[in-house]
Amino acid sequence: MNSTILALTLRQLLGKRRALFMIAIAALPVLVAVIFRLADAEMTPQRWTAEHLFKGLIVTIVLPLTTLVFGTTALGMEIEDGTIVYLLAKPLRRFDVILSKFTAAWLPAAALLALSTIVSTIIALGNDNSSILIGFTIAIVLGSLVYCCIFLALSVFTNHALIAGLIYVFLWEGVVTGLFTGTRYISVRQYTLGVADLIAETSRRTFRADIDGAPALVLMAIVGVAALVLAVRRLSRFEIRTNV
Amino acid sequence: MTVELQPPPATAESATPAIRLEGVSHWYGNVVAVNKISFSVGPGITGLLGPNGAGKSTILHMIAGFLKPSSGSVEVLGSPAWQNQEMYHRIGLVPEREAVYPFLTGYEFVLLSAQLHKLPNAQEAARRAIRLVDMEQAQERRTGGYSKGMKQRMKLAAALVHDPPLLLLDEPFNGADPSQRLRMMALLREMAAAGRTIVFSSHILEEVERLSDNVLVIVAGRLAASGDFHAIRRLMTDHPHTFTLRSSDDRRLGAALIAEPSVVGVELMDSWLSVRTADFGAFTLAAPRVAHGSGITIFEILPADRSLESVFSYLVKR
Amino acid sequence: MPKPAESAEGSIYDLGYRKYEGVRLGRRHAVFSLYIHSLRGIFGFGRHKSSKIIPIGLTIIALLPAIIQLGVISIASEVIEPSGLFQPADYFEYVQWLLALFVAAVGPELLGRDQRNRTLSLYFSHALLRSDYVLAKLAALATALITISLVPQILVFAGNALSGDDALEYLRHNWGDVAPIIVSGVLISLLMSSVTLAIASQTPRWQLASGGVIAYFGITFALGSILVSSLPNGPAGYSLLLSGFHVARGITSWLFGLTPVLSDEGEGGLAQADIPLFLYTVAACVTIAIALAITYRRYRRLIV
Repeated sequence: MNSTILALTLRQLLGKRRALFMIAIAALPVLVAVIFRLADAEMTPQRWTAEHLFKGLIVTIVLPLTTLVFGTTALGMEIEDGTIVYLLAKPLRRFDVILSKFTAAWLPAAALLALSTIVSTIIALGNDNSSILIGFTIAIVLGSLVYCCIFLALSVFTNHALIAGLIYVFLWEGVVTGLFTGTRYISVRQYTLGVADLIAETSRRTFRADIDGAPALVLMAIVGVAALVLAVRRLSRFEIRTNV
Repeated sequence: MTVELQPPPATAESATPAIRLEGVSHWYGNVVAVNKISFSVGPGITGLLGPNGAGKSTILHMIAGFLKPSSGSVEVLGSPAWQNQEMYHRIGLVPEREAVYPFLTGYEFVLLSAQLHKLPNAQEAARRAIRLVDMEQAQERRTGGYSKGMKQRMKLAAALVHDPPLLLLDEPFNGADPSQRLRMMALLREMAAAGRTIVFSSHILEEVERLSDNVLVIVAGRLAASGDFHAIRRLMTDHPHTFTLRSSDDRRLGAALIAEPSVVGVELMDSWLSVRTADFGAFTLAAPRVAHGSGITIFEILPADRSLESVFSYLVKR
Repeated sequence: MPKPAESAEGSIYDLGYRKYEGVRLGRRHAVFSLYIHSLRGIFGFGRHKSSKIIPIGLTIIALLPAIIQLGVISIASEVIEPSGLFQPADYFEYVQWLLALFVAAVGPELLGRDQRNRTLSLYFSHALLRSDYVLAKLAALATALITISLVPQILVFAGNALSGDDALEYLRHNWGDVAPIIVSGVLISLLMSSVTLAIASQTPRWQLASGGVIAYFGITFALGSILVSSLPNGPAGYSLLLSGFHVARGITSWLFGLTPVLSDEGEGGLAQADIPLFLYTVAACVTIAIALAITYRRYRRLIV
């Protein structure tokens, strides 16, 4: 881990425009929770929080968009405009570079997402149901970790990391795993929901994930580590693409 | 008809050259960018000269460890350049692309380089490097607002901050105005005199001519010539030298000179005489003799193509 | 013009610079050329291989349901009811994300390339107005989307018709579907294209714009669904008018004369919103107009 790169990347990522955009996205669940409380909905708060707030909004939309933005730009921007040379022409282990970049991407993402989840869940559920709160928050934090690993690795492999990530999230995780249920084991979204189901104590009727928590955790670890390892390997063989 | 290549002057017989390429080629798909190139580089300033697309950047990137040679070996400071993190302790690289971190000030940018090199006294080293490139005035401004020439100088400072014995510059004078260019050239000459090895690439003949001790001419991926360019010129025996003469009677002098065996052609211009000769040495002896014998005074005799340009165009046309 | 040098035996011709004396094709042709050029660029024709992967890849994925249905029909039409698999009215529900991803992938580059390479000054120094530019780009993007969305539907329709015993009988029975298919396809394509152009015109940075387009469709969709499922049959239903996906569904339902049913759709859909269906079409037209206005305003104020 290299603290210089970590600090530099954090500074890069948290520029004014991007930070405001991310805060706005993270604020959406809070907004929706407020509306839910003010209006008089028929649904039980637990069911609403689990099904609509968590699954429908946070995990499906806010989590991927946030981690995509931070994960693909942490390294991707420098690769695209060539300033990556200033990091690579140094006696640093590629592993340190990747780890620092990943941490710089993950910390703000996880912080924003955790805050958003906690605040919106408290607004929606009130002060009881702490297991739901804890479960969802931990799941989101872990989910953001795995997503950041994947998107960081993607940005090392291709210039079109953002659109590739979008296609993965919204086409593969959104549509394909809905149609072919076997593929749910290759979906970070499902892992996140599985972990949430494991920790939060909810009845089957309120919230039910498609895969169990234990395999979800294992798969998260495997996918995350694999992504980072691939990223380190690829960065070690980094070649400047010149237009011949 | 070939140019006879002299081996580059060995500065110290036992010293390992800073850079050694042997049989290096690089291709991408069907395009061969660099084709079986071998050379060694020692201390002093070496210029990589060639037209755009000739392969200079490819060679520099391979030396800097950012491209894997498709075949052959690239050795820098004694060990292979590819996937060699340790060598960056002793290499400074000034890349061609203009982009830097726009939100950092000039000082922070050089400081970043110092910190990434894990220098014990990074701030002092950064300030010293900035003083060296004469950018103290602007160091507190963000690099996003710098002109192209200022960015080049800061990039140079960042490459010098760890005092490397080997410096690689990719098109360093691109976009620099004449005064900045002169300043940078003076700086590079100073550093070379102190024993550093400097390699830079350019497609501008005048720069390479002025700055380098040694020239490597790259044309279409091949090494067309190497060494001191005056020596290269002299070796090109199949390419007639051209001289311009001004004398008291150009026409008579021309008629007398064409009788000489060393003279290949004579052309009468408005106010001077242009003479082409195949034998540089013989002509320099013959010209005064012929003039004296005909009672003509020579006011001026100049080699017309003692420039890298003629060397270069000759090499490119082959 | 200098005469060629002539003599009895030969001539030397002057090959120097000449002014163009021929026909000048004018503004309409300029707009048409820009349209064709943009359309080709969307699918990566005339460009490097890597810029073809995403658009053509997504096109193939879009055609898959149709190909599968045709395959099923040809192989097993006695066993499976031919038109049972994919109803034309449901089509957009399956492909909404695909179309959104397509438009997010190609839209920003369509506009951004010109902004980055500063070719805009080249365009506007010809007989091309800024409004022409915007309309040509919209037409190109919408054409691409229409192709991706209509071709599969037409394939399925034709497949259904030809697989039955009597093609004409099928046509007579179902010709009422043809017009809604085409109109809904065109309208939805225009909607998605104009929104993408409005977002993409704001910044020359493609990645930002791509993310912005998906964020727009995704967030409006999620928010609308949540609001409507939490507060059904109330004023919350109008929030669906802002969601491109819901509007698309609304348009197809209205044109096919269907009523949304809760049990089919699930929560967060048109059934729970319970607003008149024609409003979706109105919303689409309004959105298109606003998006075009935003885009045009941006280009009018752009200094090239």
